[in-house]
Amino acid sequence: MEQVINELMETIMSNQLSVPVLQPILDSVSQLPMVGFIISFILWKPVFALLICPGLSTVGIVLLFFPWIERKLCARIQWRVGPREIVPWLGGLIQLVADTLRFLFHEVIVHRDAHRPYFLQFPFLSFLAALLPLLFLNAGSVMAIETPYAIQALLALVCLFPFFILGLGWASNSRFAFIGTVREAFMYFAYEISFIIAVLAMIILYGTSNPLLMADKPWGIILNPIAAFTFFIGAAMATSRMPFEIPEADQEVAAGPHVEYSGIAFGLIYVMCYEKAYILSGLMVVLFLGGGSGPFIPGITPLLGDIMGIIWFLLKIVIVLTTLFVLRTIYPRYRLDQGLNIGWGVMISLSLIALALSIILVQGGII
Amino acid sequence: MKKVTVQDQSTVEKVKCHAAAIGVAMKESIYPLTATVQYPRQRKKMPDNFRGYLLFDPEKCINCWECAFICPANAIRMKEAPNKKYYPTVDYGKCIFCHFCIDSCSGGALRTTKIHDVAYKDMDDMVTLTEEMIEPPEIIREDKTLVEYQIDKKDLQIKKTREVDYLFVDEVPPSVEILMVSMCIDGASCIGCHVCEQVCESGAISSAIANGVMRMKIDTDTCTGCGLCVKECSMQILKLVRK
Repeated sequence: MEQVINELMETIMSNQLSVPVLQPILDSVSQLPMVGFIISFILWKPVFALLICPGLSTVGIVLLFFPWIERKLCARIQWRVGPREIVPWLGGLIQLVADTLRFLFHEVIVHRDAHRPYFLQFPFLSFLAALLPLLFLNAGSVMAIETPYAIQALLALVCLFPFFILGLGWASNSRFAFIGTVREAFMYFAYEISFIIAVLAMIILYGTSNPLLMADKPWGIILNPIAAFTFFIGAAMATSRMPFEIPEADQEVAAGPHVEYSGIAFGLIYVMCYEKAYILSGLMVVLFLGGGSGPFIPGITPLLGDIMGIIWFLLKIVIVLTTLFVLRTIYPRYRLDQGLNIGWGVMISLSLIALALSIILVQGGII
Repeated sequence: MKKVTVQDQSTVEKVKCHAAAIGVAMKESIYPLTATVQYPRQRKKMPDNFRGYLLFDPEKCINCWECAFICPANAIRMKEAPNKKYYPTVDYGKCIFCHFCIDSCSGGALRTTKIHDVAYKDMDDMVTLTEEMIEPPEIIREDKTLVEYQIDKKDLQIKKTREVDYLFVDEVPPSVEILMVSMCIDGASCIGCHVCEQVCESGAISSAIANGVMRMKIDTDTCTGCGLCVKECSMQILKLVRK
């Protein structure tokens, strides 16, 4: 028994998050009997990745504040004010807290025609499916599951969410939900292939699919901008941001697959879109913007250690997410046929060009 | 029928347009030009001739009933006051704020204000009695900023000043009088009844027989544009036109 505990402790202690600034405090705390164990368990990199960054806490913060950032930014661009009345001196910063409270106290209505068990399960299942890819996302050197096939696994899990959204629409059993679901399915086929080919181009270019090794290479956006562009448009389609907000299309076809939902079930579906955007922009940062690498700042980088990688990663995610959000103010929505045309025409051609470019760069020995 | 076609643009032009759109978005996200007037805290500046809540001064009222006659929405009813005079009451449920009553008021008893935010509990409350029209309604002022839209040559500009707008109009700006003259629009139909000549107070209309046909002649210099001849003409061939 003691041997097992010792082995466990050794595993945990061998893969700790290193923060030189906090080291003296951590050393003194680790002398305490139970607290020391808990803290070193949390600072164990896989657990830290799950609980703090890029896992649960960061997702929570992103879901609480990014809808606010989006609404505020779009409002500024469109000459409006945006959320304001809740805590005016902070500019309505905790708007989403208020919204969450509202969603919690709404009644979840299950209408007569719905497939009751599936109707109630799918919002929660889809939220879980949207959380799973975080296992393979790395912030700097912090990663939950280290595997040489991390990008492929992440991509496979990312491609899982449309099924749950289709499930939502099917379980709703309403004509408006069906229309939204079919549109979602169309868009899913339109972006998926070119999206996967763009990632494949980057894997070929780097010669590895371990994100920890990718961070040392030059930035993908410089090496293969075409793949970055295709990936970005694919991400906009996958998260149904404005130019490709085809499945939802509030003004024309009710609200997509989740018309029938209310209360906290709707709240989960509503924030799931942002969660998806967060994961896809994380993937974009890992593939194209050098992950957690950044310029060396004397005096700060050596002190913060692994935290610095996390900071760079989050900063890049903020930039990518903001760019995704701003698209909404610039472009009007495409029609379904235009969206399909872009997906099957321009994007597949671009992704194939990007693939060819990667192969040429690798074969030519430039990288 | 006009067919709408897609504008033909080269790829370079399209990329330029996209770049321009992104540039505008970036500029606006840093220096936004917020057009929203946050109403209870800010108030839009209204012009002096804004058609708002009506105020009434019984001292100047001459009891002519013009306001009640001209009201197109039938919102004004005359009510008898203790001094045996009839004063107007306004039903704001019906009033369309055309302010014909103010224009027609010869004594200047009715005047406008810039108040546009009065709330009533029910429809019956909207019938505003004469006593209630003498004093302005009680409004709670929360505004601290005055917002003014200025249309520049290129763009809309928003000017915000920290002052509280004065909602009453003390002096009504004098209206510009448009000079009119009477004119015969169909001389061939004139039956020569001489009514216009008799009714004209300024003697601007004279008659003459030319080629055995009676013709009325209007002197545009002496005509005051009162419109009496237009009203009396039996053939309705006279009309007031701009001088």
